[in-house]
Amino acid sequence: MKRVRLIVVGLMVLAFLVGCASKPTKEIEDTTAAVKAVIAEGLGKYAPEDEKKLNDSLAAIDAELKVQDGKTFKSFDKTKQMLADLSKMAADMKAALPAKKEAAKQAAVAAMDAAKAAADEAKNLLAKAPKGKGTAADIEALKGDVKGVDDALVEVQGLIDKEDYAAAVTKANAVKEKAAAVAAQITQAMEKAKKK
Amino acid sequence: MKRTVLAVAILCLFLAGCIKEEPVPPEVSLAEKQELDLWRAGAPFYLKEPFNRYKETLLKSKGNLTKVNAQFKWFRNYKPVQAEFAQLLKQGDELSKQLEIEKQKRASAVLERMKSLQQKHSHLEEMTLSIHLGTLTRSYLARAEVALKEVQTLYKKEQYPASEEKLKDVEVNLARAEKAIAPVVSRYKDTNQIAKWKRWATETVEESREEGITSILIIKANKKLLLYKNGSLSKSYPVGLGHNGWSDKQRAKDNATPEGKYKIISKNPASRYHRALLINYPNEEDRREFQRAKKRGLLPQSAGIGGSIEIHGGGDEGLTYGCISLDNHQIEELYYAVDVGTPVTIVGAIDERNILSSAGTATPSKRK
Repeated sequence: MKRVRLIVVGLMVLAFLVGCASKPTKEIEDTTAAVKAVIAEGLGKYAPEDEKKLNDSLAAIDAELKVQDGKTFKSFDKTKQMLADLSKMAADMKAALPAKKEAAKQAAVAAMDAAKAAADEAKNLLAKAPKGKGTAADIEALKGDVKGVDDALVEVQGLIDKEDYAAAVTKANAVKEKAAAVAAQITQAMEKAKKK
Repeated sequence: MKRTVLAVAILCLFLAGCIKEEPVPPEVSLAEKQELDLWRAGAPFYLKEPFNRYKETLLKSKGNLTKVNAQFKWFRNYKPVQAEFAQLLKQGDELSKQLEIEKQKRASAVLERMKSLQQKHSHLEEMTLSIHLGTLTRSYLARAEVALKEVQTLYKKEQYPASEEKLKDVEVNLARAEKAIAPVVSRYKDTNQIAKWKRWATETVEESREEGITSILIIKANKKLLLYKNGSLSKSYPVGLGHNGWSDKQRAKDNATPEGKYKIISKNPASRYHRALLINYPNEEDRREFQRAKKRGLLPQSAGIGGSIEIHGGGDEGLTYGCISLDNHQIEELYYAVDVGTPVTIVGAIDERNILSSAGTATPSKRK
């Protein structure tokens, strides 16, 4: 009788222990949602390593959950701690993201402004070049170059509008370089025309 | 009895405290670093499938490590996990080698395509700088150049997939430029057209020889005016042509320079452009062609045929409205070397390999 009582008490303790260790479903859902949200906001574009950290941490949590799922005496304390850490990490990254975006945007806008200034210089030079019959063939050709530079500048603005700041900077720098080359060619052509 | 059990328990706890915890194998952190290095080097882009397999193995091994870590420290045995991670490191090393090969391959392909497009761009750029073929062409070329510069930046950053994408922009803009000049250029690639021009040129030189006269031959592609005396080349002058000079004149205000066999019909010693030699454009053939084009609806009914095509001074680099221009000291020389009645033949090219034939797409011209 004593033994039966002992077994019943043991089973109750066991059931209590197993029942206590329930899966932190809500924490998992909340953390996953927080991670997805910050990634959706473009984290990968501005801090790709941060995005990787989040994904790796999620995968580590998943692995820990699988380990606990395979146990009789489950303990999700570690999982909960990992989830809490990840949530904090995602929140911190989310908080830092607008500043990173703004910095990238400012860099793109500055690059575009520099490209625009170079294009304006080329346009101003072209405006001073002779027009009509007798216009040097090279100056006439360079008008097309200035148009091409202007068209490319529109593309830079498009990239900024799409928040593709890295691509905008690359294009703006290329436009600036081309505009400077066109300006130099216009000056050269005008000097040549003067000498004639 | 109770005392004995208690003593054993205390001893066990004491021993447990004394047992040194087995450290996590160093292969684990090495694998984590390796995975990060592979990721940074672009493995997810260049070797997507093998890298995913590697990551799966890493995750599995990490899972096994977690299982071991979850055991009571007396029973922890890292050896199997250590072997797994050692194997994973080998897999990663292999992947790293493959990655280098793949990146090198992509880099070479990008470089080759970039060089080929740069060459094409330079050729078109050079050609359209000396031969005015419209601002549209140049604007496409400028955009192609901007895209080429972007490719160079991306290539330096080892961003080969992005470079490949950007090269498409270069190709698109070069194709647009070629398409824009195709109507002009196609005539300079058309072997029948060139044979016709060649025949006109030969006839002009033969006529000069047979009749012992002075003749002028203007070759647009070469931007040259050749002066023949008794069939022999006496002088060669560089010339400038119209804004649309490489096209054949079809109507007034098209800024094209006519092609055909003409004669000098008057000489102007006090031209606005120093000296001028007026030719008989439109001649009979031009008039017939003009009427045919109108009947076919190729020209508006209100269009005029144009005229006043001269060989004049003003400089050989200026663009005219269809005339042929020379430097003042050269027109001075030419002016006194020719008379009213001197034949003037204007052709596009006499060589199939001319400056315009290497660009654009071949669409044989039906005109003339």
